[in-house]
Amino acid sequence: MEATADRLAEQKYSFDVVRWFTIMAVVYLVVGAAVGVYIASELAWPFLNFDSPYLSFGRLRPVHTNAVIFAFGGCTLMGTAFYTVQRTCGVRIWSEKLAWFTFWGWNAVIVLAVLTLPLGLTQSKEYAELEWPIDILIAVVWLAFTANFVMTIAIRKTSHIYVSNWFFLGMMVMIVYLHVVNSLSIPVGLFKSYSIFSGVQDAMIQWWWGHNAVGFYLTAGFLGIMYYFVPKQANRPVYSYRLSVIHFWALMFGYVWLGAHHLQYTALPDWTGSLGAAVSLAMIIPSWGGAVNGMMTLSGAWDKLRTDYVLRFLIIALAFYAMSTFEGPVMSLKTVNALSHYTDWTIGHVHSGALGWVAGISIGAIYHLMTRLWHTEMWSESLVNVHFWTATIGTVIYVVAMWVSGIMQGLMWRAYDEYGTLAYTFVESVAAMHPYYAMRAVGGGIFLLGAVIMLFNILMTVRKASVQGSLREARASGLTPAAA
Amino acid sequence: MSDYFQTDWGAMTATDWVGLILTVVIFVLMVIAYFQVFRPKNRDSLESRKHIPFEEDIEDSGDNDGGK
Repeated sequence: MEATADRLAEQKYSFDVVRWFTIMAVVYLVVGAAVGVYIASELAWPFLNFDSPYLSFGRLRPVHTNAVIFAFGGCTLMGTAFYTVQRTCGVRIWSEKLAWFTFWGWNAVIVLAVLTLPLGLTQSKEYAELEWPIDILIAVVWLAFTANFVMTIAIRKTSHIYVSNWFFLGMMVMIVYLHVVNSLSIPVGLFKSYSIFSGVQDAMIQWWWGHNAVGFYLTAGFLGIMYYFVPKQANRPVYSYRLSVIHFWALMFGYVWLGAHHLQYTALPDWTGSLGAAVSLAMIIPSWGGAVNGMMTLSGAWDKLRTDYVLRFLIIALAFYAMSTFEGPVMSLKTVNALSHYTDWTIGHVHSGALGWVAGISIGAIYHLMTRLWHTEMWSESLVNVHFWTATIGTVIYVVAMWVSGIMQGLMWRAYDEYGTLAYTFVESVAAMHPYYAMRAVGGGIFLLGAVIMLFNILMTVRKASVQGSLREARASGLTPAAA
Repeated sequence: MSDYFQTDWGAMTATDWVGLILTVVIFVLMVIAYFQVFRPKNRDSLESRKHIPFEEDIEDSGDNDGGK
């Protein structure tokens, strides 16, 4: 039944652009993770800088973040959004040309990022480093993506818009708003501009964007993936549709308040940080509601986790989502923030969300897509299992190393001796971090190994489908609803 | 305590008023959303939507919910 539906879907919908986004997402996962492991190694063994400005941590770090967030994450979001909107609305994508423009435009942005960032061409805004011409291209491509998605919903044959589309749509609308406002700047040359904001207003706009990139891009968008792919992979409808509606609206209304918690103990008015922390705590409720909703979809069928490695990725991702959305609000509290801020604890928190939640749900969705888009089984189920364990173990090693390192840093920086002077110099705290930085590089390396295995496995699956002719057969099978 | 909650309404700028009104409106909308979603009368109609990803697998009528 499932295979028949997928063959019918192949003829009914447009999946070519989805296939390309899927493959490129995995390529960018490998590239982004490789750069991440390299810069993590630079922190542990600084000789790896080789005294080259192009290889320095400061220039490669935004290459890493842009590659994993916008290249890997973006391709995953765009591919899954184009796939799910067609299958849940019962119509072909509104414009295939616009979908291809989105694919090539987004990849052009990625290439430009890889070229400009190592050269030091940057606005120095976190997660928004790219200079103004590339920012304009991002806005145009994102609007094309959004318009195509909205128009596909507009011509749908279903009366109701399934919840995954609501999450994708929320992400698209908010990212337009956030990206445009945060990127407002005055160009003074082709690759140099200055933000129109300054001082504490600039910081507040930066973190209004920064946390909402997390909230709407890395959370809402990937929840759209979760609400389609977890039920489909488990072959059971989502546990509670009502909970998903509340999850959506609470997330949309709540997340926009949180950015100020990044600026505790700064020039920002005190009440603003307190408000950010208070709403952060309130956000635990919808976040955990969503995580429980996803996990309880397996209620009565937990045995599927024994044999279904793809489902394991999806469910472990939800566990990391729940953990990260508890840890974040705790870190936003002023008393905890006084210890955690500017330390590696933040890096550990970010990566439990990035590796555990975002990468986990993406990888699960991509494996699910591979079998549906190429109409064959994975080349190796065993390698999917190996990937699951390397990804999970690598993430845990990374996160634990950063937790220990971060808390140790915070405690060393605030330690006083009996005369009221600092007990440790900053350099002593840096030296104490070395074993944990080495451990982080090892954890990242294990995660990277899993990503390489995944890329190999999906390329072999594409090759297998080509040899078998399964995709050609699905396209030409001429199945009709009656024949099915 | 009264000092803590005291507000100088006269010092409110246009931006403050926009923010305040938006906050109250969003709060009211959230209350309405909770009420509507958890109202027993709406349970069946809302929960029936969760089958949408599977309906195309059962019948390919070109209309996932049979034209409802």
